[in-house]
Amino acid sequence: MKLFGVDVGGTFTDVFYNDTEKQHTFIHKLPTTLADPAIGVIKGMIELSEMNGVAVHEIDHIFHGTTIGTNAILEFDGAKTGMITTKGYKDILHIGRHQRPQNYSIMQDIPWQHRPLVQRRNRKTVSERMGPAKGEIIEPLNEEEVIAAIHELKELGVESIIVGFLFSYINPEHEERVVELIKEEYPEAFITTSSGVSPQFREFERFTTASLNGFIGPKVKGYIDNLSSGLKEASITADLHIMCSNGGVATPENIAEKPVNTLLSGPAAGILGGAYAGVLSDRKKLITFDVGGTSADIGIVTEQGFGEASARDTWIAGYPVMVPMIDIHTIGAGGGSIAYIDEGGLFKVGPKSAGSVPGPACYGHGGTLPTISDANVVLGRLDQENFLGGEMKLHVEAAHKVIAELAEKLEMTKEETAEGILTILNNNMANAIREKTIQKGADPREFSLVAFGGAGPLHAIDVARELKIPEIIIPAYPGINSATGLLTTDLKYDVIKTEFMLSDSLNLSILNKDFQSLEEGLKKQLLKDLVEEENISMQRFVECRYIGQGYELRVPFPSEELTNHNIIDCFNLFHEIHKNEYGHSFESTPIEIVNIRVVGTGKMPKLRKEKVNGSSDLGAAIVKKEHVLFRHKGELQKMETLHYQRELLPAGKWLEGPAIILQKDTTTVIPPGNQFVVEEYGNLIIKVGEQS
Amino acid sequence: MSTKISKVIDPVTMQVVLGALENAAIEMGHKLARMSYSSIIRESEDFGCALVDIKGRQLCESTHSTPLQSGPIPGYVKGIRQVMEERGDQFEPGDVILHNSTYHGASHGPDFGLCIPVFYEKSLIGFSVTTAHHLDVGASTPGSCGIVDAVDAYAEGLQFKAIKVYEKGKKNTFVWNILEDNIRSSDLVVGDIGAQIAAARIGVERYLEIINKYGLETVEATAEGLTNYSEKMMRNAINKLPDGEYYAEGLMDGYLDSDDPTKKDLKIAVTLKVQGDQLVVDLTGTSRQIDDKPINMPLEGTVDIAIYLTLRSILLDSEDYGNFPQNTGLTRPITIIAPEGTLCNPIFPAPTIARFCQGNVVADTLMRALAEVVPKQVSAGVGNLKVLAMSGKKGKDYWVYMDIMEGSYGGRYGKDGMDSVDTLYANTRNNPIEDIESHYPLRVTKYELRNHDCAPGKWRGGIGSIREITFLENGSFSLEGDGHKYEPWGFADGKDGKVGDLSIRYPDGTEKKLPSKISNTTVQSGSSLKMTGPCGGGYGNPLERSPQAVYEDYLDDYILIEQVKEEYGVVITEEGTLDLNETDKLRKSLSRLY
Repeated sequence: MKLFGVDVGGTFTDVFYNDTEKQHTFIHKLPTTLADPAIGVIKGMIELSEMNGVAVHEIDHIFHGTTIGTNAILEFDGAKTGMITTKGYKDILHIGRHQRPQNYSIMQDIPWQHRPLVQRRNRKTVSERMGPAKGEIIEPLNEEEVIAAIHELKELGVESIIVGFLFSYINPEHEERVVELIKEEYPEAFITTSSGVSPQFREFERFTTASLNGFIGPKVKGYIDNLSSGLKEASITADLHIMCSNGGVATPENIAEKPVNTLLSGPAAGILGGAYAGVLSDRKKLITFDVGGTSADIGIVTEQGFGEASARDTWIAGYPVMVPMIDIHTIGAGGGSIAYIDEGGLFKVGPKSAGSVPGPACYGHGGTLPTISDANVVLGRLDQENFLGGEMKLHVEAAHKVIAELAEKLEMTKEETAEGILTILNNNMANAIREKTIQKGADPREFSLVAFGGAGPLHAIDVARELKIPEIIIPAYPGINSATGLLTTDLKYDVIKTEFMLSDSLNLSILNKDFQSLEEGLKKQLLKDLVEEENISMQRFVECRYIGQGYELRVPFPSEELTNHNIIDCFNLFHEIHKNEYGHSFESTPIEIVNIRVVGTGKMPKLRKEKVNGSSDLGAAIVKKEHVLFRHKGELQKMETLHYQRELLPAGKWLEGPAIILQKDTTTVIPPGNQFVVEEYGNLIIKVGEQS
Repeated sequence: MSTKISKVIDPVTMQVVLGALENAAIEMGHKLARMSYSSIIRESEDFGCALVDIKGRQLCESTHSTPLQSGPIPGYVKGIRQVMEERGDQFEPGDVILHNSTYHGASHGPDFGLCIPVFYEKSLIGFSVTTAHHLDVGASTPGSCGIVDAVDAYAEGLQFKAIKVYEKGKKNTFVWNILEDNIRSSDLVVGDIGAQIAAARIGVERYLEIINKYGLETVEATAEGLTNYSEKMMRNAINKLPDGEYYAEGLMDGYLDSDDPTKKDLKIAVTLKVQGDQLVVDLTGTSRQIDDKPINMPLEGTVDIAIYLTLRSILLDSEDYGNFPQNTGLTRPITIIAPEGTLCNPIFPAPTIARFCQGNVVADTLMRALAEVVPKQVSAGVGNLKVLAMSGKKGKDYWVYMDIMEGSYGGRYGKDGMDSVDTLYANTRNNPIEDIESHYPLRVTKYELRNHDCAPGKWRGGIGSIREITFLENGSFSLEGDGHKYEPWGFADGKDGKVGDLSIRYPDGTEKKLPSKISNTTVQSGSSLKMTGPCGGGYGNPLERSPQAVYEDYLDDYILIEQVKEEYGVVITEEGTLDLNETDKLRKSLSRLY
């Protein structure tokens, strides 16, 4: 199989090629073509193919990560969207949960009021109402009103329509009927139903999820159409799959309908790339640590797979999104994070970032504020000549100047200030990891930290020491880790059904029946996507809570028929999960099932691992010896430090810090007291020692 | 100039310890919200968490909670210590203390504080505390809101003055039995107390981890540094204000249906005295306390929080200043004067349980006094909230549901008012309709913005909402609210807002308008309550509002075509387009009339 992974970021388009038979891997990086990213995607594949003698028509699969939808929301540049909803409830999208995002602010903006995804004039109401018991019809759907509403929306020039009715997660009949009517009356419209994208209770969150889908829908669909026809023109006949936030891929047809599923696909692919690095080193428990210029993304991988975000905890640009997503914790901490002293005298780092323009002072593009990168330059950890493979010469004096200015205000030395900046940032990052591990009953001492992104390997050891994580893995290509991750995915669909039921009055036959019917639907979809039957697998979950609670926890359920016997194990597992999550369980309280859920997976061909060559002679890997500042024996001091070229390090040879490891996409900093080795499959492994 | 705020530890360590402390509080809040049972805590987020050191300084608070719950925590601790000392009682390792005494720091009776003393190397070094609003406290009628007729503090339900529910690690079963026997829906209430204790225990654990890692001295020095820091921030902010005295008053409904004139049309008076970096908030002139109605406000726990929070939100708006530690340092430059025996400083046993809405008027009036000084940092008058308690029989017990009805903000400099949100010192969340109807015999039959009622202004006032709830079984309800009589104030030529309202529609279709305070009243199945939230005041002359913004409001049906013309002087043609030339002419002629 010949596989392509193409990840489009804000600055670069990364292309990763793997031939699973010949075990060839080639990578390529080119600037993203912002006006139409599809151009860069195709160009990247063609360029890589030409450089390495790959025939484009022989490519089997393309896995693609896109931020088209995400950017449309961040830039608030989407389709003119209309809504059809229940009479009497026109403003659910506007009122939200009636809570202000900030406690202590008069001048704040409320995202859904300040930047409405559907303006009020484009929200039309119709008579209909369902009830909570089984989605019973309290008031039938008035089709004449629906048709009138569709005509009004068409008149208003709305190109995307969302349909959101109360209790549609139990009974989608009315929403689906409206879809039929829209297809008759206004077939050009992009249509989204709330039950279609997120059949779960909580109307504001569900309707907002549908609105996000409607808002980005036409744009994403247009992009995919462009890309598909561009591929055809370039004679690339490979199957195209698109990365989703849940860590799986979906077909272009599916994404064209539910683009909301791609909103966090970039960081999701990063976590997959991190997980793959774990596979290469045979490690099962991983903390992925992806640090770029402005933010750090943290994910957890265990034997059970990825942590998944609770439906209530995912937000984009201030809007709630209720779709399955890998649990990714993002904080504003990266290479460009700015260090400053605030009005009251506190020394802070981030979340403000210098970004890429003007960027850190050391970039020499006019940045005048001290950043993380500048601190690393002052400590000698970022090398003037070897940044981005020598493509960008760092302005060392500029970095020293901005850090010195800050140091004066702090009454500290320049070097202490630089170290202090890193300490504050590293602690912020460690706290973010703590929230996802220690606070959920997981012990970081049992995990490996997989560090990637441009700045991850610069900070990994300090963060690991803070949390007593014993080992760090740096993948072979830390800068294109998401593109690597794309080649490790499967087709993956999540379906969900709200099913309020109590553990002391269960109706197992309904549960069994509903699980079966969800699975049948999924199977149909996967077969339609041309997955062979033997490559299809299903995982069942139930989302439940103690009766009266408002937050659910996800419990894996067995794939066989539920019986009075095996259901007890499931509930015991819930108690256990609750205890891990919150430190407490309430075993005599009845459990309420809220949602049942099935994840259907269609196995896809994957990247094949490959041995690295390296050099047999360590001397060849040594670039130079320089002074770098490290804290050693309690003092910040200059230490003679060898700089190595990553690709030339001999595999299997253990080496000692202090060391700096250079490669084009990142720099790895190894303070004294740590040992490291390059493994045969390309990972750099660091054994984290105590602070010496 | 030296920017150092601590002489003992370096700024890096301080920032690192601060991060660890905040992380602990976030964890407490997160876990409390998720473990709790009643919707008032888990959905409305009416809870708070904080760690407090031995000197009573708050070290950190959960960001994920309502300010009226976290803010009072140091006061709870102070009250508990005072009671314990008076009794000659000792804190012991393993104790868990329940406290809700409003004359000893608690915000009001239903807000239970669960406090765990933290010991390090056998000495008491601080406290881990959670507070949360409970569904029922064993008052005369079901629910813990809308108890607007309690005649004194004893009639408000159970009073816990520093009661050890765990003593040296052992469960004090007597107390728990009393709780279970005297509280409606006690399984939920007891479950929520359990969740509060579990979250407070997590706080203890994290507090000790932090001390073990950084040392007690460092943590103490951090506390000192943070307090100095917050104090400095507040002093800087006050220093920017011109010295002088600024006065405003706010009026409240009280009991509009009462024959007794001392029980209605109540006044909050605020004189703000700015001198250098100090500020005095003098409430002299505020109405007398009402001896036998529970709308008096505890000075500590309600009035002080309303004041600190408003000053902070205006002078140190997090939109500009980001988040920084809420602690006693913020309050050091501020002196509150509240004459005893007034609504803002009642004398025991004056009842206080329904103090919620009055506190927001204190906040709003303070903002009005500040409007003169910092016109670009305030909003025009804010529309007040209502709390509706609904209940009914369920077997031998009750179901109880509390719905917090939002208000709205006034217009702001450069921005319209926030529509339909919780206001000022409250910041809870509404309950999803789909959650309410799945769990109670209720139907939410309408939830929409008010049409055509927003206050005109260069920046218009926020829009209130209408929420209608129908009983599907026989039950009862009570209400504490305000803002039915006095409109939210317009500012700088902006128009006043619109008052709120409540009405009931009986099963036979007849309707009746109700006042803003109603004690427990039984209703038949099929009865509907319609709550109307007030609209905040307008800011600036409406004739200066951007014609495009007026046009957009018209398109969104916030205003009618007549209002476009009469209130804003904007002309929309018969084809429905904006006519800027005619608008210009009309506005000129209208401004001559003024």
